[in-house]
Amino acid sequence: MKKGNRPFGKILMILMIVFFYLPIVYMIIFSFNEGKSLTSFTGFSLRWYQHMLESNDMMESLYTTFSVAIIATLISTVVGTIAAIGLSKSKKIIRDIMEQVDNLPLMNPEIVTAIGFMLLFITFKVEKGYVTMLLAHIAFCIPYVILSVMPKIRSLDPNLADAAMDLGATPSQALVKVIVPQITPGIISGSLIAFTMSVDDFIISYFVTGGGVKNLSIMVYTMSKRVNPSINAISTLVVVIITVVLVLINVAPAFLAKRAKKDEIKGRRMMVPAVAAICVVLAIVGVRGLNNKASSRPYEGQTLYVYNWGEYTGENILRDFEEETGAKVVMENFDSNEQMYIKVANGEAYDILVPSDYMIQRLIQEGYLQKLDHSKLDCMDKLTDDVKNLPYDPGNEYSVPYFWGTVGIVYDKNKVDIRDLEREGYNIFLDEKYRGDIYLYDSERDAFMMALKALGYSMNTENSQELQEAFDWLVQCVQTMEPEIVMDEIIDNMAQGRKALGLIYSGDATYVMDENEDMGYYLPETGTNLWSDAMVIPKNAKNPELAHAFINYASDYAGAYDNSSYVGYTSANQEVMEDLSGEGGDFEGINAYIPRSDNEMDEVFVYNEATKKEISNLWSKVKIAASNAD
Amino acid sequence: MLVLPMALIALYSVTEPGNTIISFSFTLDHYVKFFTDPDFLIILWRSILIAVKTTVICLILGYPVAYYIARCKEKVQNILVLCITIPMWINMLVRTYAWIGLLSEGGLIWQIFHFFGWNGSELLYTEGSVLLGMVYNFLPFMILQINTALCKMDHSLLEASADLGAAPAQTFLRVTLPLSLPGVINGITLVFLPAVSSFFIPKLLGGGQYFLIGNLIENQFITVGEWNFGSAISMIMAVIMMLLMMAVRRIELRNQGGKGE
Repeated sequence: MKKGNRPFGKILMILMIVFFYLPIVYMIIFSFNEGKSLTSFTGFSLRWYQHMLESNDMMESLYTTFSVAIIATLISTVVGTIAAIGLSKSKKIIRDIMEQVDNLPLMNPEIVTAIGFMLLFITFKVEKGYVTMLLAHIAFCIPYVILSVMPKIRSLDPNLADAAMDLGATPSQALVKVIVPQITPGIISGSLIAFTMSVDDFIISYFVTGGGVKNLSIMVYTMSKRVNPSINAISTLVVVIITVVLVLINVAPAFLAKRAKKDEIKGRRMMVPAVAAICVVLAIVGVRGLNNKASSRPYEGQTLYVYNWGEYTGENILRDFEEETGAKVVMENFDSNEQMYIKVANGEAYDILVPSDYMIQRLIQEGYLQKLDHSKLDCMDKLTDDVKNLPYDPGNEYSVPYFWGTVGIVYDKNKVDIRDLEREGYNIFLDEKYRGDIYLYDSERDAFMMALKALGYSMNTENSQELQEAFDWLVQCVQTMEPEIVMDEIIDNMAQGRKALGLIYSGDATYVMDENEDMGYYLPETGTNLWSDAMVIPKNAKNPELAHAFINYASDYAGAYDNSSYVGYTSANQEVMEDLSGEGGDFEGINAYIPRSDNEMDEVFVYNEATKKEISNLWSKVKIAASNAD
Repeated sequence: MLVLPMALIALYSVTEPGNTIISFSFTLDHYVKFFTDPDFLIILWRSILIAVKTTVICLILGYPVAYYIARCKEKVQNILVLCITIPMWINMLVRTYAWIGLLSEGGLIWQIFHFFGWNGSELLYTEGSVLLGMVYNFLPFMILQINTALCKMDHSLLEASADLGAAPAQTFLRVTLPLSLPGVINGITLVFLPAVSSFFIPKLLGGGQYFLIGNLIENQFITVGEWNFGSAISMIMAVIMMLLMMAVRRIELRNQGGKGE
């Protein structure tokens, strides 16, 4: 039995290895893909690597990930080891209690630990950022260290320390020269676990970070909404780094062992991973250093904190702005106005926010914004009249428009009969002909706009009866039509023609139609939401001066052109809008790019706290109904 | 640093919104809200169910693999263990993200399925894809835990059992399995806990309409902003988990006790 051939086991093992490595290999291959698709390989290219190297954000996240991991590992290893030694010497009751406490983070779902840390930092008004992330990492690594050091201490002969001291060693000598070498394997495995946990951590970091500090996980999470092969490139880089470190760990000891015979050096084993890790950090710091050229520019050395929608800026604008002004831009992304509001309301400081109309109204009402200094702004004349002086901010005292548009239906011309759309409008989302072939957009506001407009009501209704009808409409949709409720995933999926139709923002439709000419954009006659997103400066901004400079830059032709042509949303800059939609422009002939202005049923969203809360609750219920439908 | 966060969650879960450190008013409304709404309970039930499925699949797949590794020569063993550990060093999100490409329409797996005559349209954004993502992410924990337990085992016990006339199957059932039980229990803990509370795997692979308890909590904190209710859900989840884990430990203890007699 012992040496028999075990074909079953062997096959299983091979399948297992394939299972574990398939996604990794797939990711590496597609990091060299020329096209944007994640499913079809169109040719070899290094453009995503170039994109990654040029992106400060990505390199920074890599640096954050590894520097936090290394520091957290070092500190938690030292503290954890001391704690374990201390515990082994203390009374049994204390030891038992401490072990239970120590088990807490291990036995607790990670998300609960994460929320605990978040509440802790907020309650004690610690500004969230790099330091909080580091503290949280240290805290959750310590139990792992204790856990792997403890058994080694237990198996230690308690007389060892006494013997050392009898022989004349001071207590500290006894500790360093006798006890520590004995438990080194436990310390090493503990620190390795701590390092792995820290590098891999997402949930805890996600809840305790702030101020634009991201580690790799957070980066991937915020970027994964829209297909971005740079993620594959940066992941491949991580794979390479990890492989190099592993090879160093496994090869170097053998190499050192040979030398050790000559120099009699022991205990080098632990040095190797540390040295390797430090090399990695130095390399990353080096790459970062190359990007920072020094010269005398107006805002040299200052930092601008921008909180914007994900995938809402052009490819070059931030870098160009940095080069021109010498300032550094840190951008953090949100994927809903509500998410942004919560952070701002909790006192996190940003210099620029880019919320939507109704949210700006709310922020003004609740006193979170400062008035703009129009003497510092030279951009207002360049903006189209359609987006200026709107009811949410008359006279643009607080806000400068960024993008604007409508919400409509994106459809595949080959699958959807245009007459169905014209006849049914939004009710096409209840037409069983298209069951299993539709996307809903995961936003309470847009979903209820659709339902209310389908029923012929105003989207700003405060009438509970009408809201209830809209709710029933949506529940009917999710229960009978098998829709997929998505956010920005709709963009790539519709560009690939995966479903027949979906609710979409006009700017995303522009992008989809630009990628796939079979796609069309339809605005039902019963009306839509005319929306605009604008730049505002919060009251607690640290650098309003620089924020004004950025508003000018983003509204000026070059910046606005870069933003709009890359993202696909309609620019607030009149000239950019005309150029992009005009002859030879990027979006020539795409009806989604120019928002319509001739339908009386179209409305601008108005903020109303009570209604908002009602809609918010109802939408949660719709989603839960959808989730429970299958 | 470890206890305080939990205490804060507990505090938030029984208070009303808008409190400061100095003044707060207690309420149990959040708990009532959770337990009286069948929708929330369904979500809780489904989260536990999918975590159980994940754990069972991991156990079925993981045990034979761990067993196979443990029976290899030591050098091969080290290499195989390393092979299973390496993926864990690469970010979980990154690996999950790669599955999106594999599973989506036109992706490799999708094409293989179609080649073998499968005609459905969706692999991604289904319960199956969420389950796959969880098994993929948590299986290594199971394998490594069981493997450690199997390696610690004294091999002369197996020979003794064989010498005493036990068939290989008997030896496995009466000796190997009970001795590896601590590893199995550790593995179950390490798979079940993160599987219940995971929120990015369902979000990435399940789409917006796939809600688990973790998503519900994230939603309360990140977009809805009802921290007190979110804390209450967290507390409920934490307590349920502790109870389940204590039950599992008890089984383990009883087993050990039984063996001693």
